[in-house]
Amino acid sequence: MPLLQIKDLGKSYNSDAKVLQGLNFEVESGEFLSIIGPSGAGKSTLLRCINRMVEIDEGKVVFDGQEVGKLNKKELRKVRTNIGMIFQHYNLVPRLSVIENVLHGRFGYKTTIQGVLGRFTEAEKEHAFFLLKKLGIEEHAYKRCDQLSGGQQQRVGIARSLIQEPKIVLCDEPIASLDPNASKVIMDHLKSITQELGITCIVNLHQVEIAKSYSDRIIGLNKGGIVFDGPSYRLHRNHTDQIYGTQTQATPEIRELIMV
Amino acid sequence: MDASTYIKREASGRIAIKMGSKSERVMTWTVTVLIALTIAAFLFFDYTGLDLSKAIPETFYNLKTMFLEPALSHFTWGQAFYQMGVTLGLAFLSTIFGAIIAFFLALMAASNLSKAWISKTVRVIVAFVRAVPTVLWVLIFAIAAGLGSEAAVLGMLFHSIAYLVKAFSEAFEEVDQGILEALRATGANWWHIVVHAVLPSTFTYLLSWTFLRFEINFAVAVAMGAAAGAGGIGFELFMASGFYFDLREVGMITYMILIFAIVLEILSTKMKERYFPAAAKSAN
Ligand SMILES: Nc1ncnc2c1ncn2[C@@H]1O[C@H](COP(=O)(O)OP(=O)(O)O)[C@@H](O)[C@H]1O
Ligand SMILES: [Mg+2]
Repeated sequence: MPLLQIKDLGKSYNSDAKVLQGLNFEVESGEFLSIIGPSGAGKSTLLRCINRMVEIDEGKVVFDGQEVGKLNKKELRKVRTNIGMIFQHYNLVPRLSVIENVLHGRFGYKTTIQGVLGRFTEAEKEHAFFLLKKLGIEEHAYKRCDQLSGGQQQRVGIARSLIQEPKIVLCDEPIASLDPNASKVIMDHLKSITQELGITCIVNLHQVEIAKSYSDRIIGLNKGGIVFDGPSYRLHRNHTDQIYGTQTQATPEIRELIMV
Repeated sequence: MDASTYIKREASGRIAIKMGSKSERVMTWTVTVLIALTIAAFLFFDYTGLDLSKAIPETFYNLKTMFLEPALSHFTWGQAFYQMGVTLGLAFLSTIFGAIIAFFLALMAASNLSKAWISKTVRVIVAFVRAVPTVLWVLIFAIAAGLGSEAAVLGMLFHSIAYLVKAFSEAFEEVDQGILEALRATGANWWHIVVHAVLPSTFTYLLSWTFLRFEINFAVAVAMGAAAGAGGIGFELFMASGFYFDLREVGMITYMILIFAIVLEILSTKMKERYFPAAAKSAN
């Protein structure tokens, strides 16, 4: 049984035009999947339907055998502990230390009192240091997060999601605010998460070339619908034209821009 | 000739650069009306028995007695400091309790941490409480508690809470939405998010607002001593001026209040610099 099943998923905010419509796909455990598409296509919304950060309007999302849309508050918290999330703007608490931010990933496993008092076990702290070491930012553990570079902050974000011991990690444009070198470091880490730990990764990207070189599979989204779904080597220019809606008046310059 | 059909013109034909919103017009009207009322008031005052050529020198003479020859006559230095302590105590109690209660109410009032209807309800109530001046609240509580320090503390507490709820909840709403989202996505519950994301991000602001309110409450506590019989230095000031007509003592007490206010200000700035360098920067 696949780890994640999306069936006829539809979503609209404020009952306006549909942001997502009739989406169907499945994700196997250990897959590295990229979602590409122009901004406003609904990539972020799709990710947020998976861990129900936004309510699901139509169809269903089945994660690990549970229908996400039907869970109550407590069950939803439990499912979310299995789903890591990484953001374009890292979304760390800037005034807290790196190690504190990493340990925030454990709240899902805590009672209210344990969490409020910040009771973390020695094993959890050791795990946090292990992850920081693996991501190459161990020496910054006691620095305030806002003193780190963007690439380093994103690695803290990755550590925070990994300490959840997730089955899947959702990444919403993780490298959109980073320079090419830092981007490569982050993408390499994400790739190694799937390869070494067997954790599924779904990554929203807008760099087609990076999506092609890193992912096993690519889904192309345009106006809330899937226009391409297949292994990354099968993605060709006519597909990207369709995804980005550039096939009619595509000038070479626009193509260049998208294909970077 | 018009460069654009979007250009708006004022009645005089000059090109307008203000948005011309409703609030701007209300603002202009309010200021105009207030100026007119002030001028009218001066015209309608009863000036009988007022001889400016005598009144002005006498005022200066009184001010001179007050501030150049200050002295204590009806009580000792020890008593003066004790009364000062009472006033500080009133301010301190109402601020501390106010801040603690306001913290929880502000969590309910912050639109990013609370349900829309709860947030609206708290905001409306708090706005109402804030609209009524502190003195009035003290007098209202005096009905139940009798004039005195109890009513003063309750009234000041009430108004402090309302003031701080607004300040705190606005600080909470400034917290980056993304941080809250990130923690919710890990499965953290509401209390975890409040304690480990909202509190660390806003602590220095909460502290600054609380210090500011303490300064206000100190001034109010002096006034309450006089107006509501709350005791403290304000009551002595009231007695000295309204009862004994002792200008020298009024001057002395005024100096003491001034010195205490300055010391408080220095203390709070020093504390902020020492413990919360970021807060000192953002507050000043
Ligand atoms: N919270 C929201 N409320 C209302 N509309 C939203 C919200 N979030 C996204 N949208 C709308 O949904 C559409 C898809 O947005 P999004 O999922 O962020 O696209 P992408 O991530 O692909 O750029 C956009 O038209 C956007 O305006
Ligand atoms: Mg997006």
